[in-house]
Amino acid sequence: MADSLLRAVDIQKSFAGVHALKGVSLDIAPGEIHCLAGENGSGKSTLIKIISGVYQPDGGYIEFDGNKLGKITPIDAILLGVQVIYQDFSVFPNLTVMENLALNSELSDKRKIVNWQRMRQIAEEAVATINFQVDLDALVGTLTVAQKQMVAICRALIFNARLIIMDEPTTALTRKEVQALFKVILQLKAQGISILFVSHKLNEVFEISERFSILRNGELVVTGFTRDLDSAKFSYYMTGREFSDEQFSAKNPGDTPLLEVRNLGLSGAFEGISFKLHGGEILGITGLLDSGRSELALALFGIREADSGEILVKGKRARINNPQAAIKRGIGLVPEDRLSEGLFLPQSIADNLIIAEIDRLASRFKVFDKKKRAREVERLVKEFAIATPNPANACQTLSGGNQQRVVLAKWLACNLDVLVLNGPTVGVDIGSKHDIHGILQNLARDGMGIIIISDDLPEVIRNCSRVIVLKSGRIVEEMDAAEATEQAILSRMM
Amino acid sequence: MKRTLSLFLAVLMILSLASFAQAQEKDWEIVVVPKDASNPWFVRMKVGVDEYAKETGLNAYQKGTAEIDATLQAQLVQDLIAQGVDAICVVPVNPESLEPVLKQAMDAGIVVIAHEGASLLNVNYDIEAFSNTGYGAFIMDNLAEAMGEEGLYTTMVAHVTNASHNEWADAGVAHQKEAYPNMTLLEEEPRVESEDNGDVAYNKAKELFKKYPELKGVMGTSSYDAPGVARAIEELGLVGKVFTSGTGMPADNKALLESGVVKSLTLWDPALAGKAMISLAVKVLNGDAIEAPIDLGVDGYGALTFKEGSELVLEGQGWIVINKDNVDSFGF
Amino acid sequence: MHKGFRKLTKRNETYVSLVVLALCLLIEVRSGQFFTANNLVDIASAMVVPGLFAVGTFMVIVSGGIDVSFPALASLTSYATTKMLLDAGYTGGIWLPILISMAMGALLGAFNGVFIGLLGLPAMIVTLGSSSVFKGVMQGALGSVQLAVIPPGMRAFGTSSLFTATNPVSGLTSRMPVGFLALIAVLLLSFFIMRYTFFGRGIYAIGGNEASAHRAGFNTKRTKFLLYVFVGMVASLAGLIRTCMMQQNHPTNMLGMEMNIIAGVVLGGTAISGGAGSLTGCMLGTLLIVIVENSMILIGIPTIWKSVFVGALIIIGTGVSAYQVVRANRVRSTGRLEGEVKA
Repeated sequence: MADSLLRAVDIQKSFAGVHALKGVSLDIAPGEIHCLAGENGSGKSTLIKIISGVYQPDGGYIEFDGNKLGKITPIDAILLGVQVIYQDFSVFPNLTVMENLALNSELSDKRKIVNWQRMRQIAEEAVATINFQVDLDALVGTLTVAQKQMVAICRALIFNARLIIMDEPTTALTRKEVQALFKVILQLKAQGISILFVSHKLNEVFEISERFSILRNGELVVTGFTRDLDSAKFSYYMTGREFSDEQFSAKNPGDTPLLEVRNLGLSGAFEGISFKLHGGEILGITGLLDSGRSELALALFGIREADSGEILVKGKRARINNPQAAIKRGIGLVPEDRLSEGLFLPQSIADNLIIAEIDRLASRFKVFDKKKRAREVERLVKEFAIATPNPANACQTLSGGNQQRVVLAKWLACNLDVLVLNGPTVGVDIGSKHDIHGILQNLARDGMGIIIISDDLPEVIRNCSRVIVLKSGRIVEEMDAAEATEQAILSRMM
Repeated sequence: MKRTLSLFLAVLMILSLASFAQAQEKDWEIVVVPKDASNPWFVRMKVGVDEYAKETGLNAYQKGTAEIDATLQAQLVQDLIAQGVDAICVVPVNPESLEPVLKQAMDAGIVVIAHEGASLLNVNYDIEAFSNTGYGAFIMDNLAEAMGEEGLYTTMVAHVTNASHNEWADAGVAHQKEAYPNMTLLEEEPRVESEDNGDVAYNKAKELFKKYPELKGVMGTSSYDAPGVARAIEELGLVGKVFTSGTGMPADNKALLESGVVKSLTLWDPALAGKAMISLAVKVLNGDAIEAPIDLGVDGYGALTFKEGSELVLEGQGWIVINKDNVDSFGF
Repeated sequence: MHKGFRKLTKRNETYVSLVVLALCLLIEVRSGQFFTANNLVDIASAMVVPGLFAVGTFMVIVSGGIDVSFPALASLTSYATTKMLLDAGYTGGIWLPILISMAMGALLGAFNGVFIGLLGLPAMIVTLGSSSVFKGVMQGALGSVQLAVIPPGMRAFGTSSLFTATNPVSGLTSRMPVGFLALIAVLLLSFFIMRYTFFGRGIYAIGGNEASAHRAGFNTKRTKFLLYVFVGMVASLAGLIRTCMMQQNHPTNMLGMEMNIIAGVVLGGTAISGGAGSLTGCMLGTLLIVIVENSMILIGIPTIWKSVFVGALIIIGTGVSAYQVVRANRVRSTGRLEGEVKA
């Protein structure tokens, strides 16, 4: 291995008494793809901010190109060739691609007057470096997430970047888009640029990186070659806990299906969907982003009413044309984007927990019973191990995993028969993910029928007793847990 | 014993109250509330109020809101009620909306005198410098003279909700029908609004002259109307062809009058009106009998009579004409 | 050509232009007076003050802020300038009054700028507050009354004209005020600033995403501060020109103008959430409001129905253009989706 491009040595950092980084070291070689993993709160973001000059370390130092750096500002870091691509990409949705690309470099040149011709030239050169095909005059707000990310990458390249830090770059991308991103990353590597890839998705770490470092509670747990890593080790390093990889299997499903769907269709989304769900089962539904899986979830919950076929609940035909109707029939949905659809983020955790059972908590005269509410909130916080000092805090103070638990708890509080989950662990760290899976399996064992809609194949395989594969709005395969392997599912999905 | 004592106490109380009232006579707090504080019309009224307070030694003063705004004015009156003043003399922005507040004042035992609010019911008296019919006819006479007693005309008011402006305009139109048969009211736009804003009056006039080329005169009422219309007449090249008359302040319109764009404006002196209101308030507070004709000891208000059919509205003879010959003689 | 047309259908400006045109035709049909030389000059003349206010409002809204204090600011600076020069017996030309009032405008704008830009307080709250402060200073400290006479230099500027348009039929004449040049100059300057300086692009960037703008290297605090200073200067210029054109200063009759100005700017397609909008659209929206306000008699709307009609036109104007833009964008986005599925 060549000499290091960047070496962080024994970095210490505290915030208001909280020791965020406890002597972390990291080195990145030129042209290396290095993966930095860790759960929420492990110190990843702090480390990135120190490398990019946003924070100053309390102890330790950084070497770049073999030179020890003193205090650096974000501008110094950029001039050295360190670029960070944040999760929100820091783009301007209201400006054109061209302007988004050229603004930063023009500003760092301290220009005052705009020369649109030069801006266009800069933008053209930038997209050419990774052969990114895009209309330079389109507004960035009209682009897809993946295209916005490419804009951010191209913009970083203008500054003769030598190290590009990507903060969880695959979070909002489809499988295809992730592949395209990886191609670009390999292209950059070929140009000698180092990549620090921040992720907690195991399969991505395996696929793209040569070396990895894992942080936990502000300490470097391990650093090494990706080829020496496996799934169990990865989970252990991340969480410090061992997890059983036990495969869920349904035990004594009931005779009448809790939910039966016959020939269900929604124009433009899916058609001819039929399946049965028994109590005690976990049914997996998977497919690509455009397979109609999300729309199916919405149709089962009545947000978008299906326009053909029928839904039977416990053997009886039911019209589910709005969420109230679904809840009345005992069907709940944990939506894909819990932030916009499942939670009221600025409101308290307690309010979020009890919102779905609000009618049940009212006393005889429809007056809200405060004591009853407090008891119920206490019970739910305990049962779902929601990590909060006070349920009166706003929901947005919770981590992703805990937010997802609130959504689950909210639904389970109202005694459902069927729970539909769309992407239940998107953006949730590994520890919480395992906990959530445990909760779901227990619920199924208690007789509930569960549908997991997800494109996280290991999740589907480990938790589901049956798997349905959707493609372009139709069922292309239904398999048992035994036949469901990643390879088998993938080959049907694509 | 007990009864004698309580009787004695009662008599003592009445006596002390009476003497208290006597001692207070010069300390009556009389407040004049104009439509706003910055309009020169009411600045002039303040001059009269201050002068009168100085002459008589009364605790009388003027207090106006920053903008012409009916709501703000109502709030101000409410504040004065809470403050416990003895009399409120008010020039209402919007008589109807002020009515309930004035009722509160009356209920609190405060004497209420209004000016330019002939429709008000919750007042002791309303003083008009003149009868609205008299003044409206007077403006019409001035306009008719300028127009050569013939041609098409229309009327302009601050707002169609403004009581006295509309009464003047109505009276002006009625007087025209009687006295000037060769003049006609513009049927399509018989009344336009200047919003008490010279710029609006100017733009409205421009529109009128464009749409109705036959239009020969505009009868203004608010003090912004005629000057604004005159600006339009001047710019459109209509001097000598189109005429306007209406209320206007001498100093503001000196140039217009002297250049001949406007031949004459009509007016009453707000300073005198202010004095008259206070004088009447004192009479009411003193419990004097109010029987026509009343002499308030103020020029033009020497023989006030009740408006026909009203026991609340008193009318004087306080109108004046301003033209290029006397424009410099008013001192305001 | 076809692409150009498609592009036009996505722009708010297109629809506002159509609404303006429709209104002009309506007025022409009703009065036969709209497309006459003198009427067009009248409209242009009535545009000067609202147009200047609209430019400032436009820039502030693009930055993601809002300013409701400009009428109070303009009233205060124009009143103070006129009063000061009257008291001093000033007889010179227009340049000193412009200079004085714009300097004061910059100062008062900086007052807004300190709170909004440097301290990061919400623009709505700050300008509501400063509006009261400005009014209070004018009426309390300066004891404002109407000034019926203005210095001769200002008077001369207000009455001088670039040219006079005469209606060949009625013989009516209208003056194109010299103040119109100020509107043109400010428009050109603002266009240059917004399009060709990084200060202007920063205003767009801040309106789009302030955090990103900071990361991209814009000095967001300074940009916002300077923006409010500039807007204060433009507003004070508008106030002074209005005083000159009216040949008197009435300290309160500009107050309340902010609502129609903001309505015009938003009507012209400036996103109230910030980041998007063009000067062309802003001027078209303001033009629509000005035409509506000054054509009620020409159309023949009875005086008592005037405000209903003005309000309805604002809603229709905003509604039509907003609806059309949404529709155009929807067509485009479904088009894109289909294209992607095929690919």
